[in-house]
Amino acid sequence: MITQFSMLASEIGPQQKFWFRHNASTFGDTIDPIYFYIFWVSAFFFVLLMALMVYFGIVYRRKPGVAPQPSASHNTFLELSWSVIPTILMAVMFYWGFKGYIGTRIAPADAETIYVTGQKWFWTLEYPGGVTTKDNERIADVDVPVFAVPTDRPVNFIMTSTDVIHSFYMPAFRTKRDVFPNRYTNLWVKALDQPTHRVVGDTTKGFTVEQIDEKNKGYFLFCAEYCGDQHSQMGGRIIVVDGPSYQNWIQKQSDTSNIDLVTLGKLLWSAKGCNACHSIDGNKNTGPTWKGIWGETHEFQDGSKIKVDLNYIRESILEPAAHVRTGFSNQMVSYAGRVNEREIRSIATFIMSLNDAHTAEAQAEAEAELAEQKALKEAPAAPGTPGTPGTPGTPADGATAPKQ
Amino acid sequence: MSAGHHDVSYLAPKETLFKTVWSWVYTIDHKKIGVMYLCAVLAMFFLGGVFALLLRMELWEPTKTTVEGVTGTFLPTVNTADGQQITVNNMYNRMFSLHGTIMVFLFIIPSIPAALGNIFLPIMLGAKDVAFPRLNLMSWYTYVFGGVFALYSLIAGGVETGWTFYTPYSTTTNWGNVTSMVLAAFILGFSSIFTGMNFIVTVHKLRVPGMGWFDMPLFVWAVYATAIIQVLATPVLGITLLMVVFERLFHIGIFDPALGGDPVLFQHFFWFYSHPAVYIMILPGFGIISEILAVHCRKRLFGYRAIAFSSIAIAAISFLVWGHHMFTSETAVANVVFSALTFLVAIPTAIKVFNWVATMYKSSISWTTPMLYAAAFLFCFTIGGLTGPPLATLATDIHLHDTYFVVAHFHYVMMGGTVLAFVGGLHHWWPKFTGRMYNENWARLGCILVFIGFNVTFFTQFFMGTLGMPRRYATYVDEFTTWHQVSTVGSWILGIGFLIHLMVFLQSLVAGRKAGANPWGGLTFEWEAASPPIEHNFSHEPVMTHGPYDYDTALPPHCDPKDFPLPDPALVRRVHGAH
Amino acid sequence: MSTVPAPTLDMDLPPHARHVPQAHWRNAKDEAEAAKLGMWLFLATEILLFSGFFCAYAVFRMMYPGNWHAASSYYLDWRIGFANTIVLLLSSFTVVLAIRGAQTNRNWMIVVNLAITNLCAIFFLVVKLGWEYWPKIQKGELPGANFDYGNAQGSHDHIFLSVYWISTATHGFHVLVGIFVITWAMIKAMNKHYGPKHYTSLENVGLYWHIVDVIWIFLFPLLYLV
Ligand code: HEA
Ligand code: HEA
Ligand code: CUA
Ligand SMILES: [Cu+2]
Repeated sequence: MITQFSMLASEIGPQQKFWFRHNASTFGDTIDPIYFYIFWVSAFFFVLLMALMVYFGIVYRRKPGVAPQPSASHNTFLELSWSVIPTILMAVMFYWGFKGYIGTRIAPADAETIYVTGQKWFWTLEYPGGVTTKDNERIADVDVPVFAVPTDRPVNFIMTSTDVIHSFYMPAFRTKRDVFPNRYTNLWVKALDQPTHRVVGDTTKGFTVEQIDEKNKGYFLFCAEYCGDQHSQMGGRIIVVDGPSYQNWIQKQSDTSNIDLVTLGKLLWSAKGCNACHSIDGNKNTGPTWKGIWGETHEFQDGSKIKVDLNYIRESILEPAAHVRTGFSNQMVSYAGRVNEREIRSIATFIMSLNDAHTAEAQAEAEAELAEQKALKEAPAAPGTPGTPGTPGTPADGATAPKQ
Repeated sequence: MSAGHHDVSYLAPKETLFKTVWSWVYTIDHKKIGVMYLCAVLAMFFLGGVFALLLRMELWEPTKTTVEGVTGTFLPTVNTADGQQITVNNMYNRMFSLHGTIMVFLFIIPSIPAALGNIFLPIMLGAKDVAFPRLNLMSWYTYVFGGVFALYSLIAGGVETGWTFYTPYSTTTNWGNVTSMVLAAFILGFSSIFTGMNFIVTVHKLRVPGMGWFDMPLFVWAVYATAIIQVLATPVLGITLLMVVFERLFHIGIFDPALGGDPVLFQHFFWFYSHPAVYIMILPGFGIISEILAVHCRKRLFGYRAIAFSSIAIAAISFLVWGHHMFTSETAVANVVFSALTFLVAIPTAIKVFNWVATMYKSSISWTTPMLYAAAFLFCFTIGGLTGPPLATLATDIHLHDTYFVVAHFHYVMMGGTVLAFVGGLHHWWPKFTGRMYNENWARLGCILVFIGFNVTFFTQFFMGTLGMPRRYATYVDEFTTWHQVSTVGSWILGIGFLIHLMVFLQSLVAGRKAGANPWGGLTFEWEAASPPIEHNFSHEPVMTHGPYDYDTALPPHCDPKDFPLPDPALVRRVHGAH
Repeated sequence: MSTVPAPTLDMDLPPHARHVPQAHWRNAKDEAEAAKLGMWLFLATEILLFSGFFCAYAVFRMMYPGNWHAASSYYLDWRIGFANTIVLLLSSFTVVLAIRGAQTNRNWMIVVNLAITNLCAIFFLVVKLGWEYWPKIQKGELPGANFDYGNAQGSHDHIFLSVYWISTATHGFHVLVGIFVITWAMIKAMNKHYGPKHYTSLENVGLYWHIVDVIWIFLFPLLYLV
């Protein structure tokens, strides 16, 4: 316990204060003082009442044979003051809270729009230009996606969900908002000018993300509305970067062409939230594990038997309900439109690599494909945009590939 | 009900065992029904409490993985018959959902009104029974019926929707047995409505002749205000839950966004009941505290009318504030209105707290267990109440909503408020309805352990909440570990405290000293009846000779003036004026 | 049977004149008033119960105004609803006459009027089931996900039908319960349990029946005539 206390102190030092955590957005400066105003008013009344109670309790304890002194059973002045004074203090709470709140609701016009999708049990953020995050970090035993927020402009999150209600909660930014299916809600923040990370590099060499203050790893994103099994693992890491780094970040996330298929598949496994239900270590979870299934033949609920190959993986991603393994119930929704063909292929190759018998084959395929990509890029006439470079043999608009 | 039995204690056994059992099963005596309710709600409290202890154990560690990669912490991973796996998370989710539903629907809502209220409300009015004794029995069996549904649901897979049953999660999840749990809550609602109707009519029509509205004990006022909320709010919950059941069975789509329905509408309906319901939970507790303070301080309550009116005011305003549970899902305009109204409801509560403390001034305080509980209540409930305003304030609630701050708030009001008042009231009236005294010193020890354990368990959660720890989390980020562990240790102290109380009660039933008719020197009618009361409560209809709290002028019934000396009448006249 | 023969012995009195209040009541007046107060409270719960439907109705009508209008006129025949409305109004009137019968000590008047009331209630249910529910089930005009989109008038017909089905079914259930309690009152009347001084339970049955009518008076225009 003692070590834990000291750990608590050292690890959180700059992150936590006693009540609120380190503040990372402009809202903290308005919201924290309101809280402390209420806190001190409450503390005053609490201490006053408890002191009186204890004092009376001691002084007026019953003494055998002694009659109590009679005293008035009401007093207009007292009663009025303990009705009116709290009322006034509470009116201030309301008004101040109302003003602070209205400020958090109306997004400034120059805000950068980021689309957020909540899904059991992960978040996807879509940056301008349709770029989504691929980076991830391991927090509390799960790989959660990493998102960047710029310091040079406000950000407006426009959010929706594909299944049940979630809630987008960034404690360090002092804000949250529920995310509904079939409806858009929004939330905006302006990060304080205190970047936690910087992103350096360029498109050819690739980008790296560097932590600026060794104690500050960035901030938490939580899901705050109960949404089922892995509600508590539906998190994320928010890093704050300056303007140029933010542009680099978007570039970094958009460009996957220099990542080989196996590595990319693994990245997507966590970035797209597959890890919420599919393990890669053989453990049974909400969905079947990915370990060792490539090339195997499985039995399905409709009685069919299918061999796990590229076609089957593709179908499972785009049309999860088509074939459901016995022993599982389908909890997955279609990813059509949210993964492109190269990404599907990378996931399949990654799954291939998870079967010891096929690992070498998968590596070889991944290397060959990466070489192909390189060649394409170097050839000046190549049309591919980063992220959807159109693998030979698949349609360029693979993301919306026709069903069947 | 032959005449011969009239002067016998209501607990006295009949000639044969069968007749005795029958005299309980088919009783229309409000005291027996109350006692049966009492046993049931205590059992439910312990069941809910066991779930609480289990879920606190699970939170001992931040993630699923313990030492060296061994998976699975306290709660096991289970395979169900059809090969589905219940993960650790899922087990945890069941724990808090069952804990919440049991505590709310099966324990706290019926706790004080249906158990202690049933036993004492008619006696305090000088009546022989409630207005509709058969309806009362029906309410009890409706409760049993609902309880059976809930227990069936528990055995048949439990629920993991949280006690709030938010759609579309609750209508689409195929884990557990949500339908029967929702039906259980629906049925329990009827039980609550029946009790409420009965009490309202009883208060209107069965007061002893000469007892005006302002001669009623404050417990009666509080239960009356509660009953109004029960009758007016519960039907809306009923219809909402019914729609959830239809949604699950027939996919009617009213609350399902996938079919064009509106999940926020469900939240409005749910909180339209469940906010007033939190005052269903606390108002009877307020009533008990008023009784305990008056009797154990030997003091006329300060501001009787203010306390009585504030109960009614709370009941009325409680219908207008439900939106404060939805600040992160509703539009800005609605939020502003609801925030403002929420502060209004805090004012009558504040008035009560000040009045209670003022009552202790120049009184004669006997630190019995009930009085200790009243003080513990004042401590904990004030904290719980004072953490309401940061949640009602828009700017701060956006941060605090659905964090452990809310969890701490509502345990401070429900556990630190209602439960402490309930246990205090139980000790206060224990001699009356069982006819036996309990062991004062052990009970005091229990009270102190509960008080310490409670604060250790839940005060830590305020810190976690402001730091951003969301609720309903089976796993959490490392930095909260210490807080969670302190909280878990607190829950053990709490458990030991309740265990001691349990022992004290059992000991008292088996070997407790016989209680006199008026061990504390109370002035309200229940202390005029025998301990335990006879079947029709009083051998002669009691007469109003003094107000319920005239401790300065009236000698308590069955009491020796030496034990309860009265102040000098001249002094009394000077303070209160001619009586 | 219009006048009661002069009583000689207690046992010669009809049951209603021999009524003694339950043991815990101080007098029969209190008991009767309590029963009535209880009934009014119950009516309040009924209104709140249905207010849930009315709120749902209002919300969805605001969300899908055009669709709502089209669905109402396409799926519901106002003439059927109107016929049922008339029948219920009539039955409300006969209930009043039954109570009048008790007040004026005309037992036959109670029985006959309750019988008419019950006939009206049965008529209502038969029309509802035979001319509305049954054809709707056959045509797949069912709530929510069970809706058959063959003749859809808009994208949210199924929500309109959900509101229609659950509110009218709940109301229909109340009518059914009404038939039982009216029958119960009729049996009591036949056994001469009601008289000028003692007809509280008859009055309560009447109150219940009025609330069932009043709810229909709101449901009818909202569902059929929008
Ligand atoms: C017994 C039950 C009970 C009681 C009495 C209360 C009392 C109050 N509650 Fe609480 N509340 C709950 C049970 C209760 N609550 C539950 C169960 C939930 C969560 C449900 C869930 O989500 O699962 C909840 C959640 C909840 C929320 C939603 C939080 C969220 O989810 O974001 C809010 C927001 O406004 C709120 C506010 C209040 C207020 C203002 C009071 C007031 O009535 C308190 C008034 C009392 C005082 C203020 C103290 C005494 C006064 C003084 C000493 C005078 C001086 C004071 C001042 C000057 C301020 N409560
Ligand atoms: C009346 C209401 C009530 C009461 C009394 C309690 C009592 C307790 N509650 Fe409960 N709680 C709720 C109502 C209540 N709770 C609700 C509504 C929720 C929300 C659920 C949701 O989110 O849906 C909740 C949620 C909730 C959470 C949050 C879960 C989460 O969000 O992840 C936690 C966590 O600590 C908790 C803990 C406890 C504890 C430790 C007690 C203790 O006070 C319990 C004390 C009782 C006992 C200890 C049992 C009695 C004693 C024995 C059985 C003897 C044996 C003991 C030993 C051997 C030691 N509760
Ligand atoms: Cu998503 Cu909780
Ligand atoms: Cu509330």
